[in-house]
Amino acid sequence: MGYLDTLESEAIFILREVAAQFKNPVLLFSGGKDSTVLIHLAAKAFYPGDIPFRVLHIDTGHNFDEALSFRDQLVERYKLELIVRKVEDTILKYGIKEKEEKLPSRNVIQSSTLLDTINEFELDACIGGGRRDEDKARAKERIFSVRSADGKWQPYNQRPELWDIYNGKLHKGENMRVFPISNWTELDVWNYIKRENIELPSLYFAHNRDCLEYNSRLIALSEFIHIDENDTVVNKMVRYRTVGDMTCTAAIESVAQTIDDVIEEIQHSVISERGATRIDDKISDAAMEDRKLNGYF
Amino acid sequence: MEILKFTTAGSVDDGKSTLIGRLLHDTGNIKTDVLETVDSKDGLNLAHITDGLRSERSDGITIDIGYKYFNTLKRKYIVADAPGHFEYVRNLVTGASNVDLMIILLDALQGITSQTRIHTLVASFLGIKHVVVAVNKMDMAAYDQTVFESIRSEYTELSEKLGFENIQFIPISALYGDNVCGRSEKMEWYDGYTLLEYLENCALNGSANSDALRISIQYVNSKQKDIAFYSANVLNGRVKKGDEVMIWPDGMNAKIDRIVNGFNEVSEAIHKDKVNMFFDRQVSANRGNIISLTNNTPSINNACLANLCWLDGTASLVIGKKYIFRLNAMELYGTVTKIIAKVNPNTFEDSVSGDCISVNEFAKVRIAIEADFVFDSHLDIHEMGRGIIIDAETYYTSGVFTII
Repeated sequence: MGYLDTLESEAIFILREVAAQFKNPVLLFSGGKDSTVLIHLAAKAFYPGDIPFRVLHIDTGHNFDEALSFRDQLVERYKLELIVRKVEDTILKYGIKEKEEKLPSRNVIQSSTLLDTINEFELDACIGGGRRDEDKARAKERIFSVRSADGKWQPYNQRPELWDIYNGKLHKGENMRVFPISNWTELDVWNYIKRENIELPSLYFAHNRDCLEYNSRLIALSEFIHIDENDTVVNKMVRYRTVGDMTCTAAIESVAQTIDDVIEEIQHSVISERGATRIDDKISDAAMEDRKLNGYF
Repeated sequence: MEILKFTTAGSVDDGKSTLIGRLLHDTGNIKTDVLETVDSKDGLNLAHITDGLRSERSDGITIDIGYKYFNTLKRKYIVADAPGHFEYVRNLVTGASNVDLMIILLDALQGITSQTRIHTLVASFLGIKHVVVAVNKMDMAAYDQTVFESIRSEYTELSEKLGFENIQFIPISALYGDNVCGRSEKMEWYDGYTLLEYLENCALNGSANSDALRISIQYVNSKQKDIAFYSANVLNGRVKKGDEVMIWPDGMNAKIDRIVNGFNEVSEAIHKDKVNMFFDRQVSANRGNIISLTNNTPSINNACLANLCWLDGTASLVIGKKYIFRLNAMELYGTVTKIIAKVNPNTFEDSVSGDCISVNEFAKVRIAIEADFVFDSHLDIHEMGRGIIIDAETYYTSGVFTII
């Protein structure tokens, strides 16, 4: 079996385990490449049937328009039932005062929106596109990862996970996070996108964009960030390696216009995927571990 | 290109995480920004590349498995960096359950320790095909051949009882890179593989001991369309459209009407394929059922003998207590009715039994299930003879067994 077949086979198996073991699972979908690949895999896993779970988008309000319209097209094409819950509503509900920041991030607050949504719909499993090669805390997580009733990951007490036997048993209130493409690297994802001819938002390919230059990162100009007279705004040919919030995902300079160009570019890049594009992980060595301890996927 | 999965097991401070850091570094698989986070005034701290949790970095030990990915022009590698501490053996078992190869790392000056023995037992228990004994820190032992040879002969004698097919011994220094990716100039007396050469060249596909067809029904797509079809995992053998099959444990007969693999209709499926299948008639098949051909059928029984390893540090296995036994997608209540023998982790010999099995203990047991289980010996068809034991109250994955 070639390596893409091996990875695909593992992911399809895991998606079917979710359908079989849980009553009310959702697939977390953001319009990014990893969750788009997950939807493609789910379509394959259950073909000729339909995908047997709903998709959930935790909407931070800081979205790229391209990602949102792509999300809606995909939902239409696969006849998915989409749940959208907005971080904005969480902020209003709890009267949260957002910090006045140059690049306001809702990365921490969105965990509360997710936990509220899990309670609202009594979701027992959330399928996510997290990959172990993204971050060293993610590298430690099981494929079936139990979260306590308050949403916490317990990295020092994870269940043993043997072979392909995934233990999905939960007590009331607990929730399972499931990561079918845990073992895929960024390059694997792109090689798979190429092989399967999977459509992606245009953000992933080189385009001209007005950006703020900030700590040697390029941040898309948008209504969500605060610009002052000392800032440098440039127009550059860029693309996104990851698509998250407009305020905490940086663009990279690129001329890669096709999937082949992107693969070529990643093969020669000396910077890791998160290193190149995430602003929020620069804060500390354990930024991801801390977010996961508080319910982040 | 194929994937080789391997794990590293070593005692504390044997340099396990350093070795993985070294492999990643010397094959050019660490990106600049990641390298910056492990660079310190004392040089590169390669172990920090894999120690992903805060307490692991502060205490300098590995607690749970961390996965790393790298590739060469020839193969892709998935590395499960597993803890060596005795109390984290359950995590090693998790990491080692999915690998083709285990590197057992030991310190040239310490030689074989009780942890080396446990790691060896784990490799044997899980039936890992390739075992590499990497004698590390040869730099501290003046690159002395006699140190290496004496460890080799002691280990060979020790492991004889476990019947490994192939053990590769390699003298290395993970810290300086000797015989990891490049040949050591300090150990000209060694003319075997470097570690990377062995990883690149070891055979991946073992031949199965049996060609019997076994398919596990994973999910019933019943709510959809007007006819039920089955998401199925081909565990062993080959199935063709039109085959007359039996569905166990009930022994229902049916004929394979359609096989769908991905978006394509196919005429056959083999080992490892994940397919959707239609039968020619209405059958009441369920998740966990096993499909075979009409000849060469699996064992259907409510009792079996198994090797078992207990993974639960909070509660020992108790004879006669009800647990959930899971084998593929089958899940049934059952009990361990008898401990036939426990394995002495130092001599690998059978020793006196008791009436409970503590965490990290290995034993041969008799299992009784409340209804019929469908299985084969794991020696014949590995996927049909391996399972987990779930605590019925905590739902912890408390034990693991392989049916003899």
